This record gives sequence, C-alpha cells and structure tokens, in this order.
Amino acid sequence: MAEVRPDEISAILRRQLSGFENETDIYDVGTVLQVGDGIARVYGLSKVMASELVEFPNDVFGMVLNLEEDSVGCVLFGDSSLVKEGDIVKRTKRVTSLPVGEEMLGRVITPLGLPIDGKGPINTKQFLPIERKALGVIQRQPVKEPVQTGIAAIDAMIPIGRGQRELIIGDRQTGKTAVAIDAIINQKYTHSPEAKNLGIKPVYCVYVAIGQKSSTVAQVVAKLQEHGAMDYTTVISASASEPAPLQFIAPYSGATLGEYFRDNGRHALVIYDDLSKQAASYRELSLLLRRPPGREAYPGDVFYLHSRLLERASKLSEELGGGSLTALPIIETQQGDVSAYIPTNVISITDGQIYLESNLFNAGVRPAINVGISVSRVGGNAQIKAMKKVAGSLRTDLAQYRELEAFAKFGSDLDKSTLRTLAKGSRLVELLKQGQYAPVNIERQVISIFLGTNGYLDSIAVSDVKRFEKEVLEYFEVKHLDIFETIKKEKDLSPQTIEKIKKAAEEFLPTFRSNT
Amino acid sequence: MAEQKVSARYASSLLDSAIEKNQLDLVSNDIDFISSVLKQNPSLDRMLENPIVKPELKSSILEEIFKSKINSETMEFILFVVKKKREEILSSILEKFKELRDIKLGFVNVNVSVASEFSDSQKNELQNKLQNVLKKKVRMSYKVDEKILGGFIVQAGDTVFNASIKHQLDLLKKHFIEASPVTN
Repeated sequence: MAEVRPDEISAILRRQLSGFENETDIYDVGTVLQVGDGIARVYGLSKVMASELVEFPNDVFGMVLNLEEDSVGCVLFGDSSLVKEGDIVKRTKRVTSLPVGEEMLGRVITPLGLPIDGKGPINTKQFLPIERKALGVIQRQPVKEPVQTGIAAIDAMIPIGRGQRELIIGDRQTGKTAVAIDAIINQKYTHSPEAKNLGIKPVYCVYVAIGQKSSTVAQVVAKLQEHGAMDYTTVISASASEPAPLQFIAPYSGATLGEYFRDNGRHALVIYDDLSKQAASYRELSLLLRRPPGREAYPGDVFYLHSRLLERASKLSEELGGGSLTALPIIETQQGDVSAYIPTNVISITDGQIYLESNLFNAGVRPAINVGISVSRVGGNAQIKAMKKVAGSLRTDLAQYRELEAFAKFGSDLDKSTLRTLAKGSRLVELLKQGQYAPVNIERQVISIFLGTNGYLDSIAVSDVKRFEKEVLEYFEVKHLDIFETIKKEKDLSPQTIEKIKKAAEEFLPTFRSNT
Repeated sequence: MAEQKVSARYASSLLDSAIEKNQLDLVSNDIDFISSVLKQNPSLDRMLENPIVKPELKSSILEEIFKSKINSETMEFILFVVKKKREEILSSILEKFKELRDIKLGFVNVNVSVASEFSDSQKNELQNKLQNVLKKKVRMSYKVDEKILGGFIVQAGDTVFNASIKHQLDLLKKHFIEASPVTN
C-alpha cells in the first residue's frame, strides 16, 4: 500500500492555502419573502440586474426575471423545497451565462453548462451571457453556402443555407427528430480532409433537448456516438424532470454556444427540439410570476420569446469572419393544426418550414415530408448549381403528379400523357424515400434525381426503384467514379458531365434485372 | 405587499408636511416616542388591530394617551389615520416614516454582529471607517453572535461586509471542494 507522509499533506495544504485571500467579503443580499412552484419573491437585492444569477442557500441558483417596486421575482434553477422563507439571497453580479469553448464538443451538458455525462469537469476559459442581442443588418450577409442534410427531398427541394432558420414542423411520431439527427450525422463529411480540400468548412452542431425524456436524449447521444457525430456535437439537455426555468433557458444556451463558433469565423448548426415545450414552460413561469395570460394562456411576449432566439441565427459579413449560425427549430403540432398560436408564430419568424405529415408517414413515405407545402425562402441561393439544375424539373414533375393523383383514384380511363405523368411521379416519390441514419452525399443525390427526372426509371417497376438506385450508384462508383469527382469539384453539371451520366446509365440499364 | 405601499404613502405625506412646516425634529421625536410606546405595550397595538373596537373609541384612547405628550400636528395625523380606518397599519407607517426620514437626512442603519463585545474605541473606529466608505451618517446597533466565531459582520442596507471567521472557513471549504479533482 502506498504511504502518504504527513509532511507531504501539510505541503499540499500550504500550497492550496497560499492562494486563499482572507479579505473582507462584500456582497449584496436580500431575504426570501415567499417561495413555491419554482418561483421566489425576494425583498432587498436593491441593485440587482434583470436576468442576473442570484445564489440561494444549499447551492440553489436562481435568475431574476421581475424587478418590481418593493420586491424581486426570481425563478429557481434547483429544487424549491431547499429554499425557505427568510433565507438570505446573494447577488453574483453576473448575468446568467454559459461557459463556452471547443471543450464543450462531445459533451452532454445542462443549460447552465454543467456536465451530466460523467466525463469529468469541462475546463472552459470563457463565459458568454445566455441572452444576447441579435446582430444588426450591417454585420450580416445573405446566406450563400449550403448545409447538406443528406436527405434528398430536403437538399433538392427545400435547401437550407448556412445562417438560415428552417422550421421542422409536424405531429408527434412523424420523424421530426430523425430529420434533425440525420442532418447532424451528415455534417461528419464537412470535418473530413476531403471536404477541406474542396473548401467546405466544418459545421459544429448543438442539439438542444427541451422537456424530453432522459431516455430519449440518451438514445440520441448513443446514435450520434455510433455514427461518430459526437466529436463535433454538444448536447444540451433540460429533460422533462428539470424545473421549468431550465427548460426555458435551454435554447438560449444553445444559441450562445452556437454563437461562440459563429463569432470565431466557423459554422454552427443548432437544433431546438422542441420549441412548443419551451413555450409551455415559459407559460408556466409567466403564470406563476403573475404576468397576464393571453391567447391559449401564453403571456403577451411569447412571440418575442421565439423571435429573439431565432433572430440570433445569422450569416456574418466577411469583415466579421464570415461565420454562420443555422437554426433548425422543431415544433410539434396537435393533429396537424398549424394554425395554433405557437406554430403560426414560429412559421412567421423562420425562413421556411419543412412539414412532416402522419398520413404520409403511415403510407410509407419516409421521411414524411410534404414537399408541396414545405418551402425554403432563402436556401435556393445556397444550393449548388448541379442540384439546382436537376431539382427544378423534380419540383414540377412532383407538382403535376400531386395534381393528377386525386383523379387517378377514381380509376377512370386516363389518356397516355396523364398515365406517363403518374408513373413518373410515383417513381420519383419512391426515389425520395430514404432510411433513417442513412444520409446520402450530394453528388449521389444529383445523379439519382437526374436519372429520375430524365425518364430512366420509367421502365423500372415502382417496387424496384430503390434497388435500382442502389445498384446504379454502385455501378457509377465502380465504373465511373470520375463523374462523382467532377460534380464534387465543379459543383455544376456541365454538358459533358450530363453526356457521361447518360452514357453510363444507358450502359447500366440493360444489365438491371427486375424482380418480377 | 399592499400594506407596504399604503404605509409608504401615509409616511411620505407626514414627512413632507413636517418639512414644509419646519417641524421635522419635533415630529420625528414624536414618532420615535409613539413607536417605542407601541413596542412596549403590545396590548395597545392589538387593540388598534382589533376591528371590533370602534374607531371612536380608538381615537379617544389614543388621544388620552398621547395628547399631552406630543405635538398637535402629530396628534392630528394619528387621528387622521384612525379616521381613514388604517389604524391597523399604524406601526408599519411609523417604521416607514423612520426609513424615509433616514434617507432624507442621509442616515443609514447599520447592524453589526460581533463574536465578542467591542470596546468603545473599536466601535468608534468602525463607525468612522463605515462613514467614510458609505459616505453617509451611520447609526450603529450591535449584536453579539458567538456562531460567527470571530471578526464581525456589518450589514448596511442590502450590502454586507463579511469579515467573520465563520465565513472565511466556509469560503475555504468551498475553495477546497472546487480545487479537488474528484468532484463531478
């Protein structure tokens, strides 16, 4: 057994004590008047700032939300049963803030930056306030680089740019989180040396889980780890068992961490999963703080709650380093009702939305994206030219298909051109189906969609489309790898490339065996 | 909470009228006197708070006790409070008055907790130091609290100057916990 000599211990004690200053400690205090339901009213604290962190006994922290004439309203970030009437409250003179830095990558933290993954303390050097004002007009520029989600339907028709805010909206169990997780996993490519050579900058991801089951968060973390995506991702978790104030500040913490990367000229992708739960916890707080309720009992500033959060997503100007913060908020609707209060608010704030529908999901169209009503208002500028070229006809083909689909259900005699449109449409829908955790590279997406829109699938049975896609891409990879390389490098479809693709596809077609 | 607002209103109007009539010293002595009487005789305070006792009776009792001992202005004010049916918050009005008067005159009440009784020279030194730091006239009140082990704790308004041994030990404990590698 190892021995510890007493003089060693005293040497360590002396060293630790030498850094300790015994000056008079000066601080401001108040007393708790009333406490309950995660809210404390405090008398005193006369110079306290709004949203300042205050310290209660038993290591409970709180944040000042209401400054009133003779008292201060605080929300508690800990167990309110540990705080009693008459307790002394201390000011920290620090606005609620989050430790930020690269050290946060790969970690699971609370909205206040404490690790909850058991991997030891996080040694960050910098603190940033969780509530920061969004940047103004001069500091920004239009989005121009794409965020590839790896989901063909999104990258082709609802492209997302770096610095954009794209809402993911849908009922429960429609795969909203799956879309977001796939997007995180697909950012792995941007961290590869190959992407660096092509001038694609890495995207750092932040996944904010608000009011979810801890088991779900653990699952997400496990999935991200499995796909090697945790290396560039931070998970901020305020699970359903945490007090409402923590759930309320979680998205702001996520935005602050994202802003750290953005302000260093890098790119960040932040996912808020989901904002309906955040709005509900903010409603809880507001009602407890006796702010007047409005529509659906939400307080009057619930719009500002989300607008100030999402406004922080931005693409910085070149002078400021050209970094970006892309936000993917998620909203859960009840029975497809997008005209409820929170969904309409967030739809109006964001730069477009991805609708996920349960009937599509149940019909086997997964991801269950309704491309007819999903839009991206700014992402088009960020799309690579090659994708733009093939996606244009994809969009019109699908629109025509949807129009005729209703007629086809009557089973009446249809003319030839209608039948052709229907056949093509059903094959395209099949082509856009995609498995979970299986993001596809942009060059592969371009080739699949090119083949789909140019009639190469017309002779294939609908049930064979996915297999055909897989085999044709394998064939391209083995025989015509140069086509992939050219698309990656040029980011465009030159007439020569188109010729090459056509030739290769014609070579492959006769060799494809249908199942029937 | 509402009581606080009401008493602040009554107290500030009394203060303003006293200043206007140049009787601040007189009124202020009266208020100190009444408040000490109320503190020493809880039964009087209970009577004022009791809604069963008729206001006329309350006024006559108050008049009988204080009439000969205080200024007529102050007496009028007390009777006015009773007339307005605010007699149950009379003591809180008096406290608020003292508070507002102290702000007006630049006084601050300082509570000092000490581990063992200070000598007069120590008290003087502390008072002078505090007046320099706070830039206000201070009114000291001392309390012996053995739990703080040594040193002293000064509370002036919301600000605490903590120079107690107990607090130092607490900070040291925290310092050790934070510095140790086993946490988290």
